Amino acid sequence: MGSIEEKLDNQLLILHASQTGNAMDAAERLGREAERRGCSFVSVLSIDEFQPSELANMKTVIFVVSTTGQGDNPDSMKGFWRFLLQKNLTREWLKGVQYAVFGLGDSSYQKYNFVAKKLDKRLLDLGATPIIEKGLGDDQHPSGYEGALDPWMSALWNTLYRMNHKLLPDGPDIATPDSILIDQPKILVNYHDANEGLPPPSTTTDLEYLEMQIKGARSMAHTKFSGKNKPDCFLKMTKNHQLSKPDGGKDVRHFEFESVSSSIEYEVGDVLEVLPGQSPAAVDAFIRRCDLNPESYITVHRRDKENRVLNHSLFPVKLKPFVELTMDVASASPRRYFFEVMSFFASAEHEKERLQYFASPEGRDDLYQYNQKERRTVLEVLDDFPSVQMPFEWLVQLVPPLQTRAFSISSSHAAHPNQVHLTVSVVSWTTPYKRNRMGLCSSWLASLDPNQRVVIPVWFNKGSLPPPPPSLPLILIGPGTGCAPFRGFVEERALQSKSIPTAPILFFFGCRNEKNDFLYQDFWLSHSENGGVLSEDKGGGFYVAFSRDQSQKVYVQHKMREQSRRIWSLLTQGADVYVAGSANKMPSDVLSAFEEIVTNESGVPRGAALRWIRALEKAGKYHVEAWS
Amino acid sequence: MGQDKVLVLTDQVAVSLSAVLDAIKAVKKEGVETIDPLIITQASLESVSSVESSYVDDVISISESSEFLSDQLLVNISKVLKPGGSILLRLSSQSDSGQMTKSSLERKLLVAGFLDIQSSESSHSLGIVAKKPSWKIGSSFSIKKTLKVLPTVQIDDDADLIDEDSLLTEEDLKKPQLPPVDDCEVGSTRKACKNCTCGRAEAEEKVPKLGLTMEQLSNPQSACGNCGLGDAFRCGTCPYKGLPAFKLGEKVTLAGNFLAADI
Repeated sequence: MGSIEEKLDNQLLILHASQTGNAMDAAERLGREAERRGCSFVSVLSIDEFQPSELANMKTVIFVVSTTGQGDNPDSMKGFWRFLLQKNLTREWLKGVQYAVFGLGDSSYQKYNFVAKKLDKRLLDLGATPIIEKGLGDDQHPSGYEGALDPWMSALWNTLYRMNHKLLPDGPDIATPDSILIDQPKILVNYHDANEGLPPPSTTTDLEYLEMQIKGARSMAHTKFSGKNKPDCFLKMTKNHQLSKPDGGKDVRHFEFESVSSSIEYEVGDVLEVLPGQSPAAVDAFIRRCDLNPESYITVHRRDKENRVLNHSLFPVKLKPFVELTMDVASASPRRYFFEVMSFFASAEHEKERLQYFASPEGRDDLYQYNQKERRTVLEVLDDFPSVQMPFEWLVQLVPPLQTRAFSISSSHAAHPNQVHLTVSVVSWTTPYKRNRMGLCSSWLASLDPNQRVVIPVWFNKGSLPPPPPSLPLILIGPGTGCAPFRGFVEERALQSKSIPTAPILFFFGCRNEKNDFLYQDFWLSHSENGGVLSEDKGGGFYVAFSRDQSQKVYVQHKMREQSRRIWSLLTQGADVYVAGSANKMPSDVLSAFEEIVTNESGVPRGAALRWIRALEKAGKYHVEAWS
Repeated sequence: MGQDKVLVLTDQVAVSLSAVLDAIKAVKKEGVETIDPLIITQASLESVSSVESSYVDDVISISESSEFLSDQLLVNISKVLKPGGSILLRLSSQSDSGQMTKSSLERKLLVAGFLDIQSSESSHSLGIVAKKPSWKIGSSFSIKKTLKVLPTVQIDDDADLIDEDSLLTEEDLKKPQLPPVDDCEVGSTRKACKNCTCGRAEAEEKVPKLGLTMEQLSNPQSACGNCGLGDAFRCGTCPYKGLPAFKLGEKVTLAGNFLAADI
């Protein structure tokens, strides 16, 4: 065996499939722990960065995979999974490959950790050797997924060490780290003269300057941002209306936007991704607290595994906008590793102790209560530990990245040229410590005044709802803000029906009270009268469930059952089904209602009905867009 | 809207151009000049069926005898019409007694599935127009049938992948067990039951409710010394939980929470 074989033998590949960043975080932790035990070559990659056909050439692979609310694999894993499911892969294909799977899921869902379970079985069936049994992290556990990760990891290192000492030369256990920080930051920050910076605003338009700033800052930032770095478009808000009545306890807004840069292009069912602004006061407070110079010009570089700096030809950006555009300082919670690194930079003894406690297995549950469950922000954490001074490199690496938020577009471009509309529920909740908190992006949008001309960077993306052709009959279920994309569907079809024959639409809406949150009431009603696209005359229909207007709860699935015959009629005509709204139980309740309807109307047994609906899904005729 | 496709049928050997144009005008209000009708003379059931299904926007039948308009002919005409397309039946007055013909033809059209049937008579002809329905609207007079057969669903291309659901065991498919909720810790969000028997209610009595007094807010004291340090150092039952850090004896200020509800 040559040295190449040996090298492969002592390498560890860790692949993560993450939807919200948790699986990635867990994978990075695994990588760190392996490095601390002397592993010479550790690779942590997103599963979509790995060529699945190469899997058979690997020796030791760890998978860290999340299961989404609907039981699906994360977007990054779809290609890999399709590859693995191929019938022509033999039972010997992965012979010689050692693997372990850790799953992140939530036991309050029926399809608990389905992705990890299926992956584990498929790898076994393809001839790979399991190192240890799969680990299943559970959001319902008092300390979240870490509750399962710690013991599983321990077993992993012990077993790996037994199988091959050379993989972990420093042994399976490590002593509690002392005050020497073993790890290096994966970021390098260079400071530049002012004249190396972006061309000053006087030589470019304001928008061009902003565009370059955003693109520059976000491409430099450490974590990979989903999608492109340069916004597709800049919008200004033209309308900000409250759709719900305050009595209902909800705040749902109708927003309208116009482009101030390039022309808008989208189809109904598409998604608008918004980069939220952060409170200027919060950004200033962060910069002050961390002793940074907001005016310095910086370039940010990533170090790779061999500690080489990856050089991009970047022009320097000012520190303050870099923070503002890429680092979430007042909303997202930092992760456990943040606390671990903080402990090395705490000068007060009691703070150092507390931080080390939080980062240890013993303090894990308390950290979970203090940080994750409470949704503690970076600023709040830094305020609670005033003696900590972290170098900027570490802050760039560990402060959660400022994420865009995606919203279903609620307008038809054909009906509103150069406009895009959104229907947004302003997220607010009370934390376990009884503090009132609001969602970053929804509250920021709600605070915007159309007269102020604030510029909003956005991207247009496809969601899970493909635009239907006018001849396709539709069954739409969209309670609450789930109605948003369907407003666009109805607008578009109403416009089309003026010149060509269009197929009917059945739409089921639900809300709490007719008086308080019957969103777009006049709009739906106008289209269900006078031969409109939602009218029964045209073979369609509009039905509403008001859940709290009577003593027993009435939801969309109850209204669906009442219209069993109409639904069946459209299904037999080849209708597509679209379901949109809050995740939780709604999509599965709707699915159950369909099963019942198909069973009752066609006379086939329930099992056959379920298989038929599954076939609809596989054929791309049953679409679900569920959000939390 | 593009050029409409019009099919003209007649049982006659020949039909005059003016008769055809006249009939087309009755059906189409505009664009008559650009229409290029397909004309079938001595039309039979077969010659009608030779036209592609759902192909034609309008069918015009010009005949002298109502016998030409059999049930089967009307069904064949319906097949070649697009959904929403229209039919015009023109009968010259040389045919039999008017009234009976009109009502029997209307009934035939209904049975063949046409809608919006309207008749008009003039001195020399009877004309009946009707529409082929666009969509099956409900089925108010259909008897519920137990089909036992579901419509086929076209699935493409996944025949070369295994069924991923087969990877799950019986055990996997059962409803998962939630981890035991161990929150007997007093002061967390769960409250004691009304008829508490485990002693939790008593313990709760001893814990100060989260509502602090004004006294406590303006002159905060702490026996353990940790209360003032901020949430990171407070224990589960700390009365100051949720409040910012403070110095002992100094009034507790509610610092700006940048995401506090204030819109």
